[in-house]
Amino acid sequence: MDKKDLFISAIKDNESFIYKIASVYTNTIEDRNDLVQEIIYQLWKSFDSFNQKSSLSTWMYRVALNVSLYQLKLSKKRISTIPIDEHLLNNRETDNSENDEAWKLFKQQIDNLNLLDKAIVMLYFDNKSYDEIAEIIGISKSNVGTKLLRIKEKLKSQINKTR
Amino acid sequence: MELDDLKNTWHNRSVQAQQQNVTFKLIDEMTQIKYHSKIKRIAYPEIVGSIICLMATIFIALNFYKLDTLFLQSVGILSIIVLLTLSILSFWSLRHLKMINDFNVSYSEALKRFATQKVKFYKLQKVNMTLCYVLLVTTIILLSKFFSGKDITGSNYFWTFSFSFGYVFLLFFSRFVTRFYKDTLKKSEELLQELQP
Repeated sequence: MDKKDLFISAIKDNESFIYKIASVYTNTIEDRNDLVQEIIYQLWKSFDSFNQKSSLSTWMYRVALNVSLYQLKLSKKRISTIPIDEHLLNNRETDNSENDEAWKLFKQQIDNLNLLDKAIVMLYFDNKSYDEIAEIIGISKSNVGTKLLRIKEKLKSQINKTR
Repeated sequence: MELDDLKNTWHNRSVQAQQQNVTFKLIDEMTQIKYHSKIKRIAYPEIVGSIICLMATIFIALNFYKLDTLFLQSVGILSIIVLLTLSILSFWSLRHLKMINDFNVSYSEALKRFATQKVKFYKLQKVNMTLCYVLLVTTIILLSKFFSGKDITGSNYFWTFSFSFGYVFLLFFSRFVTRFYKDTLKKSEELLQELQP
């Protein structure tokens, strides 16, 4: 298997997370697609430097989160883009419309978390173990547990407030 | 919506076939080096700003002989110092942008760099704007001397206008910066606190 095939196979395995994380960090489909492109580009660019100290998936998650964080900085330097509702209204090429409403509610809750908690909870939702979350985020396993408890409490209280 | 619903929503967010095609087309383009990262574009305004400042410095230096009084020469030197400081600040900001552009570090490390830079950036904004105001006044003085040969500083109106305008400008600006960045600064500082080992 050559480098390109290996990369495509790795992207296939983690594509779902890349799209989801890009959807969390952006507000329009255009911005999301830009971010997905940027993540895949940065992954490809540093694919050679992947040192196998961690698993390929762990490394990809880490790069994806870091690029998203960087993109946030970039987006603040640009003129604000079209809000999501208007875009959805005018663009037929939307995501699965059945899930749009649920996703909107999901984003409302997640957006209230800080950048660290947001990343931890996304990895938790993606069924990553505490060890993997600790490795991707760069904090101790016990710290992951403590933070997740606090995040769950915060989300519960947020959800209760919106009822 | 319950916590489990949030988890389900995350899992149900599927990738469309159409998007998958885009992904593979993109990988094809990247392997043929047709794709250009948008991230590099973030540096363009900083580079353009630095070039403008350096060009202005050269312009003042070349016309320095036209400044015939000690006061005008001091204004010229002050302008050069301010312009060079602004250029250095721009390059410094670029260096930090490159530093943050290492995607192989852990997310907490990236966040730490991100938040630290944000705090520094907002603090720098006040210095930057004060320097811009000083530059505005010195530029008016220098340009009138360079292009019309007149020393505008002899006019009382000029000083009255410059100082009253400057005072109002700096007062409003510092209030605006404090109010505008207060929340962002607080969030960044809290995040840094949280990331402390």
